[in-house]
Amino acid sequence: MKNTIKVERAKKNWTQEDLAGKIGISRQSVNAIETGKFIPSTVLALKMAKVFGTNVESIFQLEKQD
Amino acid sequence: MEQSKKHTQWNSIIFALVHGATYLPAVWLLKHYVFGQFVSVIIAIVPIITFSIFIFKLIKAFSVLDEVKQRVQLEAVVIGFSLTAMLMMILFLLSLRNISNAGWFGYGDLVCYCWIFYFVGWFISKKKYGI
Repeated sequence: MKNTIKVERAKKNWTQEDLAGKIGISRQSVNAIETGKFIPSTVLALKMAKVFGTNVESIFQLEKQD
Repeated sequence: MEQSKKHTQWNSIIFALVHGATYLPAVWLLKHYVFGQFVSVIIAIVPIITFSIFIFKLIKAFSVLDEVKQRVQLEAVVIGFSLTAMLMMILFLLSLRNISNAGWFGYGDLVCYCWIFYFVGWFISKKKYGI
C-alpha cells in the first residue's frame, strides 16, 4: 500500500509533529505510517483524511501486490 | 487527555518500581533468613501481589498508546513469550537426559530471561517500525 501523506503534509506545510498532534498519535507513529512500515486502521485513516480535507482513497492507494 | 495518558504511563512505571522494591527484598530475605512456612509463603506472595498490580497498570498503559505503539508492544510480548517457551522446551528436553545447569537456569534466572526476551522483542519491533 502506498500513501501520499508526505505530499498532503507539504501542501499544508505541516511537520510530522503537527500531523501527529492533530490526529492524536506520536510523531514516530506518523513516520512509521508515512514510510509504509505500518498500515493504519480505518479509523486512523479516516482521521487523517478529515484533517487533510480529502478522502481516504486519495491518501492511501493499493499497489499491484496488495 | 494527553495529561491523563502520561499519568497512566507513569503509573505503570511507578508500580514496576514498587514491584522491584518488594521482589528483591523478598529474594534476599528468603535466601538469607530461615522463616516458618507461613511467613515464607507471605513473603513470597507480597511481590506477586505488587506484580499483579503492575501488570494491571501496564495493560491500562497499553490501552492509551496509539496503534503503532500497541503493535510494537504486541510483537514484543509475542517474541518474548516465544523465546521463553523455546528456552523452557530446550531445558525440559535436556533435563530428560539430566543435562542442565541449575546455576544458570534456575526459576529465578528464568524470570530474568523472560524480561530480557521481552526487551529483545521490543527492540526488534521498534527497529521494524522505525520508532
